[in-house]
Amino acid sequence: MTDNTLDLFRDSSRPDSDVDRPRVTSQPPAPRVWTVRQVNRASRLLLEETLPRLWVGGEVANFRRQRSGHCYFTLKDEVAQLRCVMFRRDAARLPADPEEGMTLRVFGGLTLYEARGVFQLIVSRLETESEGGMWKLAFDRLRARLDAEGLTDPSRKRALPAFPRTVGIVTSPTSAALRDVVAVVARRAPWLRLLVRGTRVQGVGAGDEIAAAVSRLAEVPDVDVIVVARGGGSIEDLWGFNEEAVARAVALSPVPVVSGVGHETDVTICDLVADLRAATPSAAAEAVAPDRQWVAGRLETLGQRLGRGLAGQVRSRRWWLDQLADSLFRRGRRRVHASRDAMAAARAHMVAAMSARMRHEASRLSEAAAALDALSPLSTLARGYAVPLGRDGKLLRRAGDFPRGRDFSLRVVDGYVPCAVTGRPTDPATRAAREG
Amino acid sequence: MANDTGLDARLKRIEEIVAALDSDTLDLDEALALFEEGVAHLGHAREMLRKTELRVEELIGPEGDAVEEMSVRDEGEAEGADG
Repeated sequence: MTDNTLDLFRDSSRPDSDVDRPRVTSQPPAPRVWTVRQVNRASRLLLEETLPRLWVGGEVANFRRQRSGHCYFTLKDEVAQLRCVMFRRDAARLPADPEEGMTLRVFGGLTLYEARGVFQLIVSRLETESEGGMWKLAFDRLRARLDAEGLTDPSRKRALPAFPRTVGIVTSPTSAALRDVVAVVARRAPWLRLLVRGTRVQGVGAGDEIAAAVSRLAEVPDVDVIVVARGGGSIEDLWGFNEEAVARAVALSPVPVVSGVGHETDVTICDLVADLRAATPSAAAEAVAPDRQWVAGRLETLGQRLGRGLAGQVRSRRWWLDQLADSLFRRGRRRVHASRDAMAAARAHMVAAMSARMRHEASRLSEAAAALDALSPLSTLARGYAVPLGRDGKLLRRAGDFPRGRDFSLRVVDGYVPCAVTGRPTDPATRAAREG
Repeated sequence: MANDTGLDARLKRIEEIVAALDSDTLDLDEALALFEEGVAHLGHAREMLRKTELRVEELIGPEGDAVEEMSVRDEGEAEGADG
C-alpha cells in the first residue's frame, strides 16, 4: 500500500511517466484511476505527517459518549466545524462531559478516518476556558444532583459517638494523613482501636476504591465511626473524593462518616455528604477521639454523683432508723421502768441488734466506698454509728460477746470511748417470757 | 458487663444508676448493689483511660473482618505524648 501512496505523489510530479505522457494519437490518454482506499490512505498520511499535534479552540457541539467509552463531538466557530474524537483511554480521565456550546481548547492530532473519508481531530486532552475547568463543572453538576436528592442536607448529618470503640480509617496506608490521624488519636484517646482500610487516594479508579473501603469498614461490627482522610493536593489529585460512588457510599454508611480531605480550603463532594467535614485529617481525628482529660473529668463528676446518690439513700434510712430507735427506746422505758438492769439490757440488746444490721450494711458500704478514690460519702462512723471493740481490737457482734462486767471500747468517728457492760445481756425471747 | 465493654455503654449505665439512686423507690440492698455496680464501671473506665498504647490494625481481604496489626511510623510527633 505504501508503494501506491508514493505513486500517487510521484505521478503528479513525474510528467515523463509512461502513464501521463501525452500521446501523439488523437485519443486522449485514459486517466489513471485510484481506489478510494488509496486516496484516503494517502490523505491520512499527508495530514498526519504534515501537521504537528496542536491545540484547537472552539465551541463544542453534539458531545456524545458512546457505550464503548469513546467520545465524539464537533468543535466549531462562526464559519467552520471540525469533527473530533476522544478515545476511551483519554476520555476516562475527563471528570465530566462538556456542555453544549461550551468554549473548549483541545489538544490532538489531525487525521482522516479512512472508512468514511471523514477529516477529524483525535483529542487527547480537553480543557475548558471557564474558571475551574471541567473539574468545577463536574463538581457543580454532581453537587446539584446530590442536593436535589437531599444527600447534602444538614438534617441528614448524624452526631458522632462520644466514645467510639473502633474508628475505621479510609486512606492510603503509607500517607502522611494516616500518620497524622494516628498521632492525634494516640495522644488523645489511646484506648481506641483504629482499623485502617488502605486505598489508593488518587488516579483513575481511586473513587471506586474509596467508596468500596467505606462500605467495607461500615460492615465491621465494632466500627462506630469512619474517617475518610487524605492530605492536600491539586483538584485533580483530590478528584477521587469528588466522585459519585464515594458520595453514595458515605450516604449509605450505617455509621457516621467524618471527612478530612485536603486542606482547609478544599471542599470535596465527600465533605458535603459526610456527617462532619473536618478541615484536615488531624482535625478529623480530633473530632472522633474524645480527649483523655475531658473523659477523666466526666468520670470524676459521675463518681461524685454516684456517691451523693448513695449518701442520699443512706441518709433517708438513717433518719428512719433514728425514729425507730427513739420509739423503741421510749416504749422499752415505759414497760421496764422498774428494773434498771432490765432497762439497760433492753437497751444493750437493741443497740446490738441494730448495729448488727447496720454493721453488715456499713461494711458493704465501706467496701464500695473504698473502691471509689477520693470519694468517701460513706464513712460509717461519720454517719453516727459506733462499733464495739474488745480489748484485742476484735469486733463484738453478739449479745454473748458482752458478759456482765466486760470492758470494751466504742469506736466513734473521732475516737474511742471506754465502756463496761453493767447488765446481763438477754435475748429477745427470754425477755419477752419474763415480761409476759 | 464484660471487661471489653465500651466507654460509652459504661457511662450510660452509670448515668442510669445515678438516676436510680436519686429516686426514692429503691431498697437499701438494691441501692448498694447498684452503687457497687457503678463503682465497678468507674473502675473499668479509669483503667481504660490508663492505656497508653494505641492499637492500629489494617482490615485485609475482600470481605469479612480479617485484620492484621499495622505499624504506622510516627515522625516523632507523638513521641512526647503524655501518659
